[in-house]
Amino acid sequence: MDENPATAPLPGDGPLDGDPGLQPERTALAWGRTVLTLIAASAMSLRWIPDQGPFVLAMFGLTVATGTGIYATQRRRYRRSVEGIRAGHLTPDTAAVFWTAGACVVLGALGVCLVLS
Amino acid sequence: MSVPSTPPPPPGPDSRRSRFAEKLLPGGTEPDPRFTLANERTFLAWIRTSLALLAGGIAVEAFTTDVFPEPIRRGLSVLLLLLGMLLSAGSAVRWLRVEASLRSNRPLPLPLIGPLLAAGCAVAAAVVIAVVVLA
Repeated sequence: MDENPATAPLPGDGPLDGDPGLQPERTALAWGRTVLTLIAASAMSLRWIPDQGPFVLAMFGLTVATGTGIYATQRRRYRRSVEGIRAGHLTPDTAAVFWTAGACVVLGALGVCLVLS
Repeated sequence: MSVPSTPPPPPGPDSRRSRFAEKLLPGGTEPDPRFTLANERTFLAWIRTSLALLAGGIAVEAFTTDVFPEPIRRGLSVLLLLLGMLLSAGSAVRWLRVEASLRSNRPLPLPLIGPLLAAGCAVAAAVVIAVVVLA
């Protein structure tokens, strides 16, 4: 039995995520920060709209779509983490990791194309 | 991080995993969920670092027209963008390697992207210093 009141389970259903380390919340916030950084990084390229309008908008569209996708699945992601910690078993989110890394590589490649054009 | 208190999951293949995950991370057992989440956050921290480099590369080209001569500006911008791309791809590889190590209970791999980041930033800084001193 856990005697420490700070880490003892709450009455009823227990704490929201069953994890005093708040891992699901920290992970969801980390995804949120990443979306903000992604949008901010690509928004800088909007400076080139007068010269390369369609190309820049395509680049910005890619990151906005990726960011929207991540934000739209945040609730599902949080729930999945909570259930995973409760069950002691969580499958890694391979698709989200590779999609995000891929979007960053493409953003960089389009940036190089813009700089050298 | 403390030693996991939850019991290890039962061994054997898991039907809940996607075929993509099964192919990339074969064998082993699911680690403590908190370690999987910590690995994910570490990946995201690396991705944000690479995004900062990408943003820097874009900003150098977009906003320093009056500061740097054109070849330096383009070179610096491409250097930062390439470093950001390498780091993005490297962070996904690192995430996969760490996850594989967690699954098979092996020691975590050394982060090769760490020295890469340090060397790349040092080169970029050296270029800027050289331009400022020689200008």
